[in-house]
Amino acid sequence: MYAAPVQDLIDELGRLPGVGPKSAQRIAFHILKLPADDAMRLARSIDVVKRTVSWCRRCFNIAEGGDDAECDICRDDRRDPTVLCVVEEPRDIVAVERTRDFRGRYHVMQGAISPIDGIGPEQLRVRELLARIEGEGVGEIILCFSPNIEGDATGLYLASLLKALPVRVTKIASGLPVGGDLEYADELTLGRALEGRREVDA
Amino acid sequence: MHLDRLWLSDFRSYEAAELVPAPEGLTVVSGANGEGKTNLLEAVAYLASLRSFRGAPGEALIRVGAPHAVVRAEVDRAGRRLLIEAELRPSGRDRVQVNRQALRRTRDLLGSLQVTVFAPDDLTLVKGGPSARRQYLDDLLVALHPRHDATQSEVERVLRQRNALLKQAGGRATPDVVATLDVWDAKLASAGETLVAARAGLTAALSPVAAATYEQVAVSAPKARGAVRLAYQPSWDGPLLEALAAARTDDLRRGVTTVGPHRDELAAWIGELPARTHASQGEQRSLALALRLAGHSVVTGRLETPPVLLLDDVFSELDPDRSAALLAALPAGQALLTTAGGLPPGARPAVTVRVEGGKLLD
Repeated sequence: MYAAPVQDLIDELGRLPGVGPKSAQRIAFHILKLPADDAMRLARSIDVVKRTVSWCRRCFNIAEGGDDAECDICRDDRRDPTVLCVVEEPRDIVAVERTRDFRGRYHVMQGAISPIDGIGPEQLRVRELLARIEGEGVGEIILCFSPNIEGDATGLYLASLLKALPVRVTKIASGLPVGGDLEYADELTLGRALEGRREVDA
Repeated sequence: MHLDRLWLSDFRSYEAAELVPAPEGLTVVSGANGEGKTNLLEAVAYLASLRSFRGAPGEALIRVGAPHAVVRAEVDRAGRRLLIEAELRPSGRDRVQVNRQALRRTRDLLGSLQVTVFAPDDLTLVKGGPSARRQYLDDLLVALHPRHDATQSEVERVLRQRNALLKQAGGRATPDVVATLDVWDAKLASAGETLVAARAGLTAALSPVAAATYEQVAVSAPKARGAVRLAYQPSWDGPLLEALAAARTDDLRRGVTTVGPHRDELAAWIGELPARTHASQGEQRSLALALRLAGHSVVTGRLETPPVLLLDDVFSELDPDRSAALLAALPAGQALLTTAGGLPPGARPAVTVRVEGGKLLD
């Protein structure tokens, strides 16, 4: 057993995602060895992020400011308000933004349906999404989830919920990476790509 | 296909070992109990499935005190040589290489080396609960095509999610629970139907082969009882999606999924009698051997190259007549066999290796 402050630090670090007891211990000892300045900088950035960053009141992306903060994308008038790209996490927005092909706005669900992790629709930003569709005159919803079981389930859930609303619901295609070789594709991905094949315009 | 060479380092009881089996015919590994004979077969099977056929967790396969274990094998697959390497680590994922190329996903290894394992507890295949028989079918499906592995893990994962939801609901069907159950039902139905169709197709292919192999290995007047017959019995009728809907109230009350591929049965009969409950111990042993041989034969037929046979201490459980019948029924190809005692008369090993004190001796 370590001195209480050290054990507290290990326990706190161990609560972080992807950090097991062994890693928590290693990070804690790393912090112990750090020069005081470096350690304080880490502490300060945690403090600053918690004080100045919150969720965008509209799309639940990260936003600077207090409770009524809006993110850069929601504040940008040039973005098309009629198309909403629905994603799991703010980091997915960064991924879609890198394409520079999407000019609409986003809605972050802040998770995917996964009963094992205790996440059901009530933990997600579902009600807020429905409110935006009516309030902002949204015409198309693009479901943009990871092609895994939980992502698929969240997409299916939203699709059936949105069926009753006068809104077009689409889902991103899933298939082969651009620049990859067909022969190296795994059969699941290739199978999905075949399923989602399209008419060729010639 | 056959195994040209096997190297172990820090695997189970072996600090370092090298085995060169006969490319064709019987390689016998002998030694007293507890010397580590089975560990050799376990290592070979590990490269085929990336798990222990004894159901041991990964960290149990690493020699006590060693940071990691390495299993490496040179395999000849229809003239093509493969060097398969697996590094087992106590935590995190194994590192797997084929011909010095790291595999991105361990699943890509499946199919590089194939084995048919005969284990002393194969009797549970006939005598035990249905899960052993479903596992038997699922293992064969993966041997026939690696894509079945993805279907199986999807079914498993969806079931875990659905069961978690059922438990959380605590018997109450709120609108949210109903809407999310709809989603899991749809996913379970589509993956489940795929898996069940594959299992049923395989069962149909196995049944006549199992009947023929049973006649070969059953020693006491098999014809008197009638032929062996297998049938896949789903735990529901009609489309799975409808069955899940019909079972929903019950599922909510009990907090588990009561229909689906995880509740199915592979039923076996000898003549008119169900083998699990009505056959004698001897008949059940013969049937277990017949099921393994039938699986081996179906895989051989589909792949056009026989998997490596691994026979772990099987003769200790069989009477002399049945042992001789099994030996006679063994198909062509490479076979690795462990034994603590002697061999039945008629066994002609091509190579014999002794295990003693964690070392292999010629």
